[in-house]
Amino acid sequence: MATTKIPEQKVILCGEYGVGKSSIFRRFTNNTFVTATDRQSTLGLDHFDKIYTVGDKTLKLQLWDTGGMERVASITSSYYKFAEAAILVFSLDNVSSFHTLSQHLLDVVTYAENAKIFLCGNKSDLEGSKPQVTDADIETFCEHCHNLISGTYKTSCKLGVGIEEMFTDIACHLVESNRSRLELQSMEKHGFKISPREEPTEDSCLC
Amino acid sequence: MDEEYDAIVLGTGLKECILSGMLSVSGKKVLHVDRNKYYGGESASICPLEELFSKFGAPPPDESYGRGRDWNVDLIPKFLMANGQLVKLLIHTGVTRYLEFKSVEGSYVYKGGKISKVPVDQKEALASDLMGMFEKRRFRNFLIYVQDFDGQDPRTWKDFDANTQNMQALYEKFGLDKNTQDFTGHALALYRDDDYLLQPAITTIKRIKLYSDSLARYGKSPYLYPMYGLGELPQGFARLSAIYGGTYMLDKPIDEIVIGEGGHVVGVRSGNEVAKCKQVYCDPSYVPDRVRKKGRVIRCICLMDHPVPNTKDALSTQIIIPQKQVGRNSDIYVSLVSYTHQVAAKGWFIAMVSTTVETDNPEQEIRPGLELLGPIKQKFVSVSDYYEPTDVGLESQIFISESFDATTHFETTCLDVLDIFKRGTGEEFDFSKIKHELGDEEQ
Repeated sequence: MATTKIPEQKVILCGEYGVGKSSIFRRFTNNTFVTATDRQSTLGLDHFDKIYTVGDKTLKLQLWDTGGMERVASITSSYYKFAEAAILVFSLDNVSSFHTLSQHLLDVVTYAENAKIFLCGNKSDLEGSKPQVTDADIETFCEHCHNLISGTYKTSCKLGVGIEEMFTDIACHLVESNRSRLELQSMEKHGFKISPREEPTEDSCLC
Repeated sequence: MDEEYDAIVLGTGLKECILSGMLSVSGKKVLHVDRNKYYGGESASICPLEELFSKFGAPPPDESYGRGRDWNVDLIPKFLMANGQLVKLLIHTGVTRYLEFKSVEGSYVYKGGKISKVPVDQKEALASDLMGMFEKRRFRNFLIYVQDFDGQDPRTWKDFDANTQNMQALYEKFGLDKNTQDFTGHALALYRDDDYLLQPAITTIKRIKLYSDSLARYGKSPYLYPMYGLGELPQGFARLSAIYGGTYMLDKPIDEIVIGEGGHVVGVRSGNEVAKCKQVYCDPSYVPDRVRKKGRVIRCICLMDHPVPNTKDALSTQIIIPQKQVGRNSDIYVSLVSYTHQVAAKGWFIAMVSTTVETDNPEQEIRPGLELLGPIKQKFVSVSDYYEPTDVGLESQIFISESFDATTHFETTCLDVLDIFKRGTGEEFDFSKIKHELGDEEQ
């Protein structure tokens, strides 16, 4: 296969501690689920790339997890930088995780201005017959934020429901919005990543 | 907070964040606390602009400054050497994945009231207006000697023992005049004063090599600067630490560092909570009784709507004013970054003039730097003490970093960090402990 560069899109997970961001991350990376008691195993997880094909376009979704920084401190503003999409995650069985979303939304629009924003209600398996957060609540929230939200999803990491559909849909949105923007984006605006230097060949005199 | 940790790190300045990252990666249980609401301490970039103005007690900026949150203004100006220690640390720790950089466009040196590009290779040496024709040839020969110099191969030494003979002797060997010595020592080897002249030449040769190797990496100048400001650096290392299990707490005042029997640290108290620990790593502001004042640095932040004159409209620049040129004992540094680094609103530039304070009138001392800048819209001056630890920590297990000095790059920063790590853990940092499958599993 030809090695043309596939556009890379940073996608970040935002939301309260314990709503299942790392579970979404884990489903995304290797489609597994661990229970709360195994939490320690999130150590060392940073971000993960996966390629999606939408029509004739391919793009690489690069999903980032918070690293648990939101537990007692705030997340660094760096986390948001260069993000093309942000998924605001709340737990369908926890109404307060839904109500704090506006704060997370504010962080996203402040630090990642250009990011598309998506809403994800996780733990749909715990929703039950009397949902803590109703569809009407979600709709109202979206209206209140002036339609900043590009898509809403319900997922269950435990059952593995809705995750893949969500990412495929996000990939569609990003391809759509990038079509025009990718061409406009001048290299000027961007810096570069530093990488290890290739071993110089004339290093033979080191011995 | 009421738990037991291997190490508690106080302050989220760059040095503390690098240490926190290194400790977490090494498997230590780390609690990282800052009394401020934001990451970065002294090495934060201030955003929005309104905050910078209020920090210095100025009335809020008018609308000509654009959107306040497009600004990220560093309090301490520094650049990264492209082939320097910090870049190595960023690469080895993988923190480079959180950052993007730009090359600094120009590197200049001040001579006789005007600035000239720092010549680094033979071609530039011959074209430079810093030297007369014969001096150019001597300088070119000197550069070739340094380039070819190999510490392991005595044939490249040309009858000069750089390990025992001093730098003054090497200059004399090539017949370089005082002016050439001046910009070589200060703009290429980046010394702050002239003490190096009497030290073995090998250190200076290595420094000049670092400069030219750095230059070779990304062109234009040997310096790099991160998009969104230097404040991104500590945050990158903080994330590394968090990814490896470090716990973060901001906005948490520290009331006491609790010392146990035998003078060892046993914990840290905030209000009536005590976190237990075996070691504390911190910046000088958390332990005023274990540091001493080493000197003072003046830094002047200048907001401007134009680049520095005579730099070919460079959007980023460094200018070094060697001490002797202006009758001082330490150099004056000028650095410039701009909107192109996402640290200022469109069309704006941030210059910073800094030096080690030598007199009772520090503002007067930086005048030669300010005069190079052209019209300045807004100026913020700060004079800060810088401290060094009086306790190396081997008994107390409290390991204290030095304040940031006036140098314009991070080489001394990294040396301090690596030294603290070694003192604290008894070993050199093992880069192989970083799980590189982090990146490998991306396939």
